[in-house]
Amino acid sequence: MMYVRALPTTDVNRNTEWFTYPGVWTTYILILFFSWLLVLSIFNCSPGMAWTIVHLAHFSVTYHLFHWKKGTPFGDDQGIYNRLTWWEQIDNGKQLTRNRKFLTLVPVVLYLIASHTTDYQNPMLFLNTLAVFIMVVAKFPHMHKVRIFGINADQ
Amino acid sequence: MITIPYLTAVSTYFSYGLLFAFGQLRDYSRRIFDWWSTNNLHGYAPICLAHEDFYIRRLYHRIQDCFGRPISSAPDAWVDVVERFSNDNNKTLKRTTKSTRCLNLGSYNYLGFGSYDEYCTPLVIDSLKKFSPSTCSSRVDAGTTSVHAELEECVAKYVGKPAAIVTGMGYATNSAIIPVLIGKVCFCCYLSCGDVTPKTYVLQGGLIISDSLNHTSIVNGARGSGATIRVFQHNTPAHLERVLKEQIAEGQPRTHRPWKKIMVVVEGIYSMEGEICQLPEIVSICKKYKAYVYLDEAHSIGAIGKTGRGVCELLGVDTADVDIMMGTFTKSFGSCGGYIAGSKDLIQYLKYQCPAHLYATSISTPSAQQIISAVKVILGEDGSNRGAQKLARIRENSNFFRAELQKMGFEVLGDNDSPVMPIMLYNPAKIPAFSRECLRENVAVVVVGFPATPLLLARARICISASHSREDLIKALQVISKAGDLTGIKYFPAAPKKQEEVKDTIKLD
Repeated sequence: MMYVRALPTTDVNRNTEWFTYPGVWTTYILILFFSWLLVLSIFNCSPGMAWTIVHLAHFSVTYHLFHWKKGTPFGDDQGIYNRLTWWEQIDNGKQLTRNRKFLTLVPVVLYLIASHTTDYQNPMLFLNTLAVFIMVVAKFPHMHKVRIFGINADQ
Repeated sequence: MITIPYLTAVSTYFSYGLLFAFGQLRDYSRRIFDWWSTNNLHGYAPICLAHEDFYIRRLYHRIQDCFGRPISSAPDAWVDVVERFSNDNNKTLKRTTKSTRCLNLGSYNYLGFGSYDEYCTPLVIDSLKKFSPSTCSSRVDAGTTSVHAELEECVAKYVGKPAAIVTGMGYATNSAIIPVLIGKVCFCCYLSCGDVTPKTYVLQGGLIISDSLNHTSIVNGARGSGATIRVFQHNTPAHLERVLKEQIAEGQPRTHRPWKKIMVVVEGIYSMEGEICQLPEIVSICKKYKAYVYLDEAHSIGAIGKTGRGVCELLGVDTADVDIMMGTFTKSFGSCGGYIAGSKDLIQYLKYQCPAHLYATSISTPSAQQIISAVKVILGEDGSNRGAQKLARIRENSNFFRAELQKMGFEVLGDNDSPVMPIMLYNPAKIPAFSRECLRENVAVVVVGFPATPLLLARARICISASHSREDLIKALQVISKAGDLTGIKYFPAAPKKQEEVKDTIKLD
């Protein structure tokens, strides 16, 4: 049985501190792999089509959770994070940490797998490229707290 | 240091992901459902934002019957837990008139003052008849009786500081006093000798450095003070030193001027880990960098140390080195309220400035009498040695229980001598399973999950009391072992049982 040490973090934001414990990266990758298997068994499509579906579903879910929803699911931190999306909250707002680099890499790797297994054919290639472009640009350090055209800004 | 099996960590994340996904699905379907129904509150803003109570609605309410169980007797070693039932899947719980007698492993009844005591209770009833249940006013108006003055002297002498101030609520002690001591603008009070009026000077820039696992009351007080807050890794003096060096070198956030006041806030026993603070190292680091030390002894006062004087006595730290000592009377003294002990100047200043003293109702007089009598029993001043017996018994009980649990293969946190022992559960489904299984066998345990603990690290927290007898502990061990086997929380291999050892644990003294 492999044991792993859990060092307590200095992150006081309970919405994001769970991401600093061991095992998160592996769980994330395993969820993606199992959802690919699920899509293959439900839709009975080619592996490339299944990867495209996984990539686009991953894009919509993570964009909504990381870059659209603001605040925390608890009431007792008195709303100090109510203007920040989850991506802006992790690691206390510090840019270019290991977690952020990993989360930027995952959509890129998914994009490469999806485009390779569909042999770079349109229209899948166009949709995949659009998705990965939006994902990666949203995670740039310069986009911290930036709201383009006031989309998702507060009243 | 918490050691998790890797598979357990991965499966815990999966479980939470599943619960989160189901919660979101139910929220979406509820929104579609409610779109059809009309409501007559057009134009009103919602009381709470939809996603703010997501956790309470979709995760906490499902296992609500494991938390907040009402009791109908005094919280002694055995307690009457009221039975509840629910007709709508735990959204609402209704009490019945029946109650079960359960072994109480959840109350902070460290020295057994939680129920009738032969010395304290008659004195408390006398004081209830002489004064009344409440003083009905704040300390500065008409709420200071002779009992209050005696209590403050008694607490100051017990803790080992020149003076003390007592407030009516333990949580409010932290959240009302920290803003008074430090803030964005710090008041500095000098009492020159011979001069009665304090002179106050206004300085800019306070810094609070608090342990990452400090209690919510400290976090609230720190946020309310307006000072800059930095967090250091739990109980790691090396990281504290690094944070102090960085902050002193950088100075205040925008102006880079030097900090006017730095306060380091730590706790004596951390109630979720059962760990004892590394006070000697932290005090020496604070002395080196000239920072103040604020020690919150809510769980450690009265429970550890040879005469129950808390973590300073246990670790051999001179109380003059700790600038502000705070504690509560709810845990070891069977009462309510909190205290701050410090130098005479500090307490004088607090009596002029602290809102908990100026505006809040003073601690009720019978409760104050209970604290005085409890301290007398602990110190042996009531003429018997029951205090020393209680302290020896809680130490024995804690060490015995912890050793036995570790031998069975459970992952138990906490240092030796600490009466708080969390048993790690990790998986969210094991939280209600363990709690309900123990209740079925008439043992009442407290389980804690996210957000009181980190997401991965849900636990069942056992609090040992001096009023638990050896038979009670053995029954508790049997029940916990059975529940642990059923839920699969024995993450470490059990120690090999030798024949003599088996005989030892069953033989009753």
